[in-house]
Amino acid sequence: MIGRHPSENVRVVSALAMPFVLVFGVYVIAHGHYGPGGGFAGGVVLAVGVVLARLTVDREIVDRCVPEWTAIVAMFIGMGLFLLSAIVPLFTGGALLDYAAVPIESLTESRRRYLGILVVEFGVGAVVFGGILLIFDRLSAIAQEQLR
Amino acid sequence: MIWQLDLLLLTLLFACAVVAVTVRSMIATVAVLAAFSLFVALLFAGMGAPDVAFVEAVLGSAFVGVLLLVAVLVTGDRAAGRDRRAVLIAGPLVLVFAGLLLFASVDLPDRGDPTAPGHQGVARSYTERSLIDSETPNVVTAVLADYRSMDTLGETLVVFTAALSVTLVLHVRRRSDRPIREEEST
Repeated sequence: MIGRHPSENVRVVSALAMPFVLVFGVYVIAHGHYGPGGGFAGGVVLAVGVVLARLTVDREIVDRCVPEWTAIVAMFIGMGLFLLSAIVPLFTGGALLDYAAVPIESLTESRRRYLGILVVEFGVGAVVFGGILLIFDRLSAIAQEQLR
Repeated sequence: MIWQLDLLLLTLLFACAVVAVTVRSMIATVAVLAAFSLFVALLFAGMGAPDVAFVEAVLGSAFVGVLLLVAVLVTGDRAAGRDRRAVLIAGPLVLVFAGLLLFASVDLPDRGDPTAPGHQGVARSYTERSLIDSETPNVVTAVLADYRSMDTLGETLVVFTAALSVTLVLHVRRRSDRPIREEEST
């Protein structure tokens, strides 16, 4: 069940679907300002795209696109992004997580908040993506060891 | 929301719950639970909460389904035998708490009632000001990532630590399995 699926149709279709699912995940994260979605839902969509490939396509091929270390690296990058956007306003004279306090002269205050929200959403998305993928990887490793 | 649709979804939810508990195969249970999550997502969407519906559909239906399937692969497809005495204790308890919840729900304000206490505090200024403050038409995103970003920071930290600790726990179990097998084989 995990790894190379016996049917070629399943393998080809899920390999074709995976990039579109990933693009949709990024779209959901970036589109959180205007519609339903945001970091959490987008991160889950991203992770599900990779999980689909892990379930059906050969392991070596998936590992070439999404290596195993991606999950933990994404988690730390996401958490770092969020913490950075929380702490940077402190040093520029604002409160914790007050994105408008970051002095970028060319942007209005509301625009700075808008971009701050975007950074936070991408941070949350990366953490959720990494966390879910990490848990799935560990569980599927145990499952494969038991099936052997 | 249309009450016929409400009733239909409620019936489907109830049927899913009963089937999930009674069916013998664990894989079938997982599939029915995924369907349950999908119906809950439809219910949320009907209530006008597309953000919650989205997360429920993606996380509850797609990902938890896959996770439980892998867990079933690890533990086996056998459902544990049911204990008759457990039903005797759990049944009345469930009925009492369901009754309490129904009794409490009588006092709840109508959905979307502007005079409800929950809509009197900061909620009003959030909905009025999110477009001015942060150019964000979706109030949910503005509340989550700007007005209440401290809560989101905490939530993200929880997800972060939870994933790391799950990884650690599963890793330790795998390593401690190996020496025992080697001892058995030698």
